[in-house]
Amino acid sequence: MNIRPARVDDLPGMQACNQQNLPENYTMKYYLYHSLSWPSISYVAEDHKGRIVGYILAKMEEESEQQEDRHGHVTSISVLRSYRRLGLAKKLMIQSQEAMTRIYRAKFVSLHVRKSNRAALSLYRDTLGFTVKKVESKYYADGEDAYAMELSLSQ
Amino acid sequence: MSKAQAEQPVLANKEAKLFRELLSHYEEKHLTKGRKTADQILKKHPNHGETLAMKGLILVHLGQREEGKKMVKQGAMLNMKSHIPWHVQALIHKGEKDYDGALRAYKNGLKADKDNINILRDACFLLTHLRKYDELVEYRHRFLQLRPVNRTHWIGLAVAHHLNGNLAEAKNILEWYDKFLKSTPDYDADNSERLLYHVRVLEELGENTEALAFLDKYAQSRYIVHRTSTMEYRARLTTKLKSSDAPDAWRVLIEQNSDCWDYYKGFLSVESIDYDSITDENRAAALKHLNNFSQQYPRATAPRRMALSVATGDDFTNLATAYLSSNIQKGVPSLFVDVKPLYTDPAKAQSIQSIVEKLLEAHNTPPAPPPAENGSASAEPTARLWALYFLAQHHSHLGAYSTALELLDAAMAHTPTLPELYMARARVLKRVGDPYGAARVMNEARLLDGQDRYLNTKCGKYRLRAGLVSEAGEVFGMFTKKDAVSPGADLEEMQSLLYLREEGDAHYRAGRLSQALKKYYAVSNVFDQVENDQYDFHPYSLRRTLLNVYVNTLKWEDSVRSHPAYRHAAVSAARIWVSVYDDPKLAEGPAASDSATSGSDSVKKAKSKAAKKAAQTPAATEKNGTANAQQQNTNEDKGLEPPQAKDEDPEGARLIREERPLERAQKLLAPLWADVARGVWDVETCAVAYDVAVRRERYLEAARALARARSIDAEHPEVHVRTVELKLKVQSLSAPAVSETALAALVESLATALPDELSLETFNSQYLQRHAADGGAVLGAARAARVLQAPLAEVEETVFSALQDGVALKIETALAALAFLRSIESSRADEFRAACDARFELATVFKAPEELERLRKESLGEPVEVKEETLE
Repeated sequence: MNIRPARVDDLPGMQACNQQNLPENYTMKYYLYHSLSWPSISYVAEDHKGRIVGYILAKMEEESEQQEDRHGHVTSISVLRSYRRLGLAKKLMIQSQEAMTRIYRAKFVSLHVRKSNRAALSLYRDTLGFTVKKVESKYYADGEDAYAMELSLSQ
Repeated sequence: MSKAQAEQPVLANKEAKLFRELLSHYEEKHLTKGRKTADQILKKHPNHGETLAMKGLILVHLGQREEGKKMVKQGAMLNMKSHIPWHVQALIHKGEKDYDGALRAYKNGLKADKDNINILRDACFLLTHLRKYDELVEYRHRFLQLRPVNRTHWIGLAVAHHLNGNLAEAKNILEWYDKFLKSTPDYDADNSERLLYHVRVLEELGENTEALAFLDKYAQSRYIVHRTSTMEYRARLTTKLKSSDAPDAWRVLIEQNSDCWDYYKGFLSVESIDYDSITDENRAAALKHLNNFSQQYPRATAPRRMALSVATGDDFTNLATAYLSSNIQKGVPSLFVDVKPLYTDPAKAQSIQSIVEKLLEAHNTPPAPPPAENGSASAEPTARLWALYFLAQHHSHLGAYSTALELLDAAMAHTPTLPELYMARARVLKRVGDPYGAARVMNEARLLDGQDRYLNTKCGKYRLRAGLVSEAGEVFGMFTKKDAVSPGADLEEMQSLLYLREEGDAHYRAGRLSQALKKYYAVSNVFDQVENDQYDFHPYSLRRTLLNVYVNTLKWEDSVRSHPAYRHAAVSAARIWVSVYDDPKLAEGPAASDSATSGSDSVKKAKSKAAKKAAQTPAATEKNGTANAQQQNTNEDKGLEPPQAKDEDPEGARLIREERPLERAQKLLAPLWADVARGVWDVETCAVAYDVAVRRERYLEAARALARARSIDAEHPEVHVRTVELKLKVQSLSAPAVSETALAALVESLATALPDELSLETFNSQYLQRHAADGGAVLGAARAARVLQAPLAEVEETVFSALQDGVALKIETALAALAFLRSIESSRADEFRAACDARFELATVFKAPEELERLRKESLGEPVEVKEETLE
């Protein structure tokens, strides 16, 4: 699969991929907001027909003036079930992290995951090296808790 | 000057102060205070236009839209000399997404106050939004003259020139800007974006040397911090300049991301190798490079996979053996899809088959013993399993469906718990014309991993394909928001094109035209939303100077409706409108259907619950799905956007009875005409465009659509039928109804396809003779015969000839033929159905209606046997 920086015209494909795979979905405007604010830190994996089979949608948390708090946030990452076992999630994550560090000097990257989502938790923790920082109570609209996870980017 | 304006009261000091307060109350959204202040002024001067306009605006914010709008209009009538009422009107139009109306109001406002900065700024965004780039440049100039020190205005003008196609001027402005920019922060991402935009403008101008120098200068001084973008520009520019730096520029990119095909293609292009059309001369060189990269980057799949496309003969066999066996060992589910493009070369397909068959033999151990009695672990899928899985897909692709099913049986006997096997089986069943079996098996796959939404989505989709609409909703509902009106409502709100399209199609197939239409319009509505989405980014992107992505976004939005989902929805809806025009009885539709998602008490309850939920703007809420409590307070700001009206017509019963169906169809199809220029235009779209035009008596338009279809595929049955139809039509036309010149043009447009001396009957029989072995064409000839009012028996005979040996007949064509026979009330329809049922052994779609009902129910059934095996 071809891995490359996401373009605006990839957004419908990313949205479709997200909807098929994950319970947390977003309207197009939220994708546009990511792309138009941080155009170089989201990546896609595409098949030979140009269909998006995996993506990482990322943003920066820039409010804080503190250099040490400057960090990236993974809004959503997923790979279609039929394209798993290729290590795509890891490859996408590495490209995105590299861009966060280079462009925005991110110190770490954060993400949220549903407490009940064991498959995703294992991907983030075991494959991608994230650790659980805290539990955010009732983070999701339906009342479920989230694990707030982080991965340090300092070499 | 009108009388009303002459009479505008001049506010005394006290009221003038109050008016200023009114403005600042509005700015700070102290709406009730603002309203009170307005009332104070109006008490003394009930005809003060500006105050009336402001009060009207505040009322709109407070939810009294109609009253507020009336007041604003009244205000404008009373004082046309002031920009304020116009400004207010523009804001309201904008809130209602009436961008043309907003621009008109602003232009009137500028007549009253030509240098009003706020109006000019907003007008610029509207001009961008409406793609009036000529005027945009003009307005940006004025703006800059008024406020030359604001950097955003320089950027705005540069972008305006760029959008208007004047790159040279865009470059000039950017250079100016650069000169007077005193200090810029280094290591600033937004500034880096601006500089990269400058590089892009230079590149688009073809000034590659300059672009490269600019890029290098700012990258070295760390003003440009986008490393990957920099490297990409560098590689592209050095390649264009035929610089000796080019190969290394691509190598650096490959080093950075060794799974990006574009980088390898770029590298090869420097070596004068076009990866997409390898020749025998450069094949060996290409392969050498790709093999080197494969060794250099052992974890990268791109160079290995690309080498398979390049290699032939023994090279191919060796590389493919390594590639296939390592992926089968790893159990990569996408392996077949990954190598499928190689099948365009039959030798490669054959080679792949024998490689995987050998792998299978090598692993041909008897099935693993059943797992331990405690049932905790199932055996880890092995190479044997994945080889069987691969071969099943391989045979299914080649049309050997029975073989594919046998291979899947063997794989399932080995491992009964792998959802991929069930998905593959479901796909085979779908292809052989058994959507019910497919839905059943896809549900089995879903039950194996209930947490996986991918399996859930597939199951829902397959149920829709089997006509099980509400049952699909039940499945979808396991992952949609619990407080949504219905699963479908949540999917629609989340803009799921897949769902809307599939459910629309399910209704269409079942003849529930109004509900189908409703879903197709919902698809179109998603694209309306996406077009509106860009508005907020006009100010945002310019301010932050994130210009490359902004310009790309505008270009993408221009063609956003070439998305296949839009085209499908527009074409399908247009077909429905055409059918309804031809037969208005269809608008009455079948009696309220049982499988529709309507009316029940629980739905109503959920609806009222959801109505309380506030609309969300994703950009504003961190977590989508955080519902804001809707304020009931009448003193709260409800914004300028009208609240979403409750859908009073959820099943489209009113929609389908709307007047002017053809104009509605035309409106949906109109955006697709833009695709002609891009060369993405298919026979189906042209055909329905013809159908609409011919019924609107726009004969030349119809002829043009038909000519376009002919240029894609002159022998396509849809073209043939319409050629006959149009010729008949032209013969019936005479001067008063259509002008002589138009008639002459029509005759000419048909002349090449259908010479005048040829009778239409002969034309049709010649077509049938030419394509007697093509089921689709045979059906086309039958339809044309019907148009020519041939005897029913003759039409039927022609349709039946599609069943003869040696005629290629696809399931979809056979279904269309059956539908055609039923539509002409042929007494032989059931005979045709039974013949198809016999011919397509594995298909169930040709079963008798009662049987279909049973199959549909069965496809929901719990997979008793499989489940027992699975859960033990």
